[in-house]
Amino acid sequence: MRNITRVRGACLLVALWSTSAWAGVAVSGGKLYTMEDAEAAEGVTILISGGVIEAIGVDLEIPFDYERVDARGKVVTPGLIESYSQLGLVEISGEATTVDGNLSEYRLGPAFDVRFSINANSTLFPVNVMDGVTRAVVAPRAGNDPLAGWGAVVDLATGSLTHSRVALFGNVGARTAAFVGGSRSAVLQRLIRAFREARRYSPSRYRPDEHDYRGQDMEALRQFRGADVPLVMEVHRANEIVQVVNLAEDLDKSLVLRGGTEAWQVADFLAQHEVPVIVDPLDNLPRSYDRLGARLDNAALLHRAGVRVLISSQETHNVRLLRQGAGNAVANGLPWIEALAGVTRYPAEVFGLDNIGILTRGARADLVIWSGDPLEITTWAERVMVDGTWVPMRSRQTRLFERYHDLSGDKPFGFR
Amino acid sequence: MLRLLLLVLIPVSAIASEPYASTYVPLASDDLLIVNVTVLTGTGERLTGVDVRLSGGRIEAIGSGLSREGVRLLDAAGQFLTPGIIDVHSHLGNGPSPSIASTSDVNEMTEPNTAQVWAEHSVWPQDPQFPLALAGGVTTMQILPGSGNLFGGRGVTLKNVPARTVQGMKFPGAKQGLKMACGENPKRVYGERTQAPSTRMGNVAGYRAAWTKARHYAEQRAKPVDKQNTTVTEPDLAMETLVGVLNGEILVHNHCYRADEMAVMIDIAREFGYRISAFHHAVESYKIADLLAEEGICSAMWADWWGFKLEAFDGIPQNIPLVDQAGACAIVHSDDAQGIQRLNQEAAKAMAAARRVGMAVDEAQAIGWITLNAAIALGIEKRTGSIEVGKAADVVLWDRNPFSVYAHAEKVFIDGYLYFDRSDPARQPLTDFDLEQTARGRRL
Repeated sequence: MRNITRVRGACLLVALWSTSAWAGVAVSGGKLYTMEDAEAAEGVTILISGGVIEAIGVDLEIPFDYERVDARGKVVTPGLIESYSQLGLVEISGEATTVDGNLSEYRLGPAFDVRFSINANSTLFPVNVMDGVTRAVVAPRAGNDPLAGWGAVVDLATGSLTHSRVALFGNVGARTAAFVGGSRSAVLQRLIRAFREARRYSPSRYRPDEHDYRGQDMEALRQFRGADVPLVMEVHRANEIVQVVNLAEDLDKSLVLRGGTEAWQVADFLAQHEVPVIVDPLDNLPRSYDRLGARLDNAALLHRAGVRVLISSQETHNVRLLRQGAGNAVANGLPWIEALAGVTRYPAEVFGLDNIGILTRGARADLVIWSGDPLEITTWAERVMVDGTWVPMRSRQTRLFERYHDLSGDKPFGFR
Repeated sequence: MLRLLLLVLIPVSAIASEPYASTYVPLASDDLLIVNVTVLTGTGERLTGVDVRLSGGRIEAIGSGLSREGVRLLDAAGQFLTPGIIDVHSHLGNGPSPSIASTSDVNEMTEPNTAQVWAEHSVWPQDPQFPLALAGGVTTMQILPGSGNLFGGRGVTLKNVPARTVQGMKFPGAKQGLKMACGENPKRVYGERTQAPSTRMGNVAGYRAAWTKARHYAEQRAKPVDKQNTTVTEPDLAMETLVGVLNGEILVHNHCYRADEMAVMIDIAREFGYRISAFHHAVESYKIADLLAEEGICSAMWADWWGFKLEAFDGIPQNIPLVDQAGACAIVHSDDAQGIQRLNQEAAKAMAAARRVGMAVDEAQAIGWITLNAAIALGIEKRTGSIEVGKAADVVLWDRNPFSVYAHAEKVFIDGYLYFDRSDPARQPLTDFDLEQTARGRRL
């Protein structure tokens, strides 16, 4: 049930309608990073039709009715993927009526599912897609309960849900400790208990007043146990990282760490257990007692130990800052191609997004033509394609710029 | 004996005139000749392959083929030299890491006018964020009170030097700031308590009432108490701050997002006869860049933050270059302990956003957004903020063009003293807090 075929069908219709003039697209030249290889391919042509990549190669014959795009001197990569955001769930963070990404009152735990409130008309989508972020995991914000609920995936071109229930999200730290009475131990005990009980959960025999969770939460945990999706836990302190890895091992579930501020301390252990980590490469602040070990080379140290590193902007309004984060990871020791993989191929693999995050025959045509090194901050996305369709480079922000970039003249600003 | 007495008296009188006076003294440093470096001066110039001589804590000479006699040489081929970065809006020290209740000292939200509080009295010099900002090339910063109040209190300008006391960090002679705040924050904080202000008009009434009272207070305090005038005006610390602004001794730093609200604040300043030094978080400055240029008011802005509240909804990435292009003073500020470590990157993003839409902006111009323009807003532009002969040797040597994401500050000098050296852990300050903590001081 991870792919919602109906929504995908609708996307395809939009795609066909808007590329009406051409039967396909041919992007030629430039440095191409397919993410199947560590090296760039040069002088290559990509043929795109029907929303997917038809062929990649040198000396391909380009059909006459294909749009020809010259990418010489540019860099071409898959569209970037943000591994954690509240896109579509938040319009204005400070205005509660526009925020659907977390629960403060009604205590729904793992059953909380953000897919029902993703707002495709959010102004955040155009702002970010035109900077090359084509897809994003949309997940509940860490709340009080150590299990926050299900995450989904959206494409930023249409703001539509493409994959639901891609992972179960949660967190262990001071905040969840406060919720269960004041100890991190109690958080872990609650998690162990909940998953154990979910194994033999039966709706008719379950008495919620004797347990931590309500029936619908236990049902969610039961479904999670049977689904081939990871548990994504925000954990920062080294000790709790180890505890959560052991918990997932007992459950026989794949685990992804998010945050992982002190993950570098247990990097070998994480590598041994094949736990990927979603890192914010800018975060070196000891901003809480869960995170005293914060350092800028966390991503590099994890990679060196053999851990797969995904990169997140930890943003929603500005998931476009993903590449700045990746660039900083490189500046602090992560190999360049690994940083690019951390915002393309790796998130697609970790969240089970087939044919996304790589450019290969049969893959979805999500790509970006960059003015230069995509991880550099002085470059920009010149063209962005999602599902075979070029994204209009227009947002509320470009409109505001057009309106006010020249303050002279008598025409009222409201007419500009 | 007399001479000894004088020596004792001088510092005493200095303290009397400047309470909580700076005790910062530049450390002695050897003369240094930085050779064959690319300089972004901060004044709009880019000099390639020049030598820069630092001597006695100052920039002594800039040119080609300077005399190498008697000075230590630092070959900087391929490297860039910029002025030390200045952040006009920071909460390092008063909003430190770890961010917990016992360290939360930014916002005195107990009444809408707390002009009597001074940010420097909240600054914890052992905040582990200071050395991180230093590693990002920040040599000077203004620490401000928060924005929950109409009048948040006085800000302080600090040198980013490791010190045991805040007095040891205070930028000697720099004026204090007065933090004022427009818009959503004060009306939300006090509105929720069903107390004034609860609306924007309540905000404005609050500023006007305070300035009216300050004017009256100044008049009363100036009158000699004698037979005609027997009313003794009680001293009032909040009023002392406002009067300091009216006298030009304290600079106004006004948190204000929306263009229309800035225009109202400009009129308030006109009504009461004070100057606004800078609007902070000015996400809509681009809408009134012409007015700001005319008024000579700086805008302190983020490169790309937007949407976290309604008054920040119209933020655009070209805000900074548009303000600059209009001839107004454009500044990139951080208000953030992560952002302050990478103000060069913030400036780079704003520059790139301009280029993307065809505006001509180069590094020589953009470096001014985080150096000289910031110094102007703080009133210290004659002392620091640019690489010019005679100015303080507050400079940063970058391993490459600082507008690259891959750039690192290699060496950071404050008044000529090497306070940070990326290749020498012994020259990387470590706070008391970070001793034997998990990261072992290796946060960089």
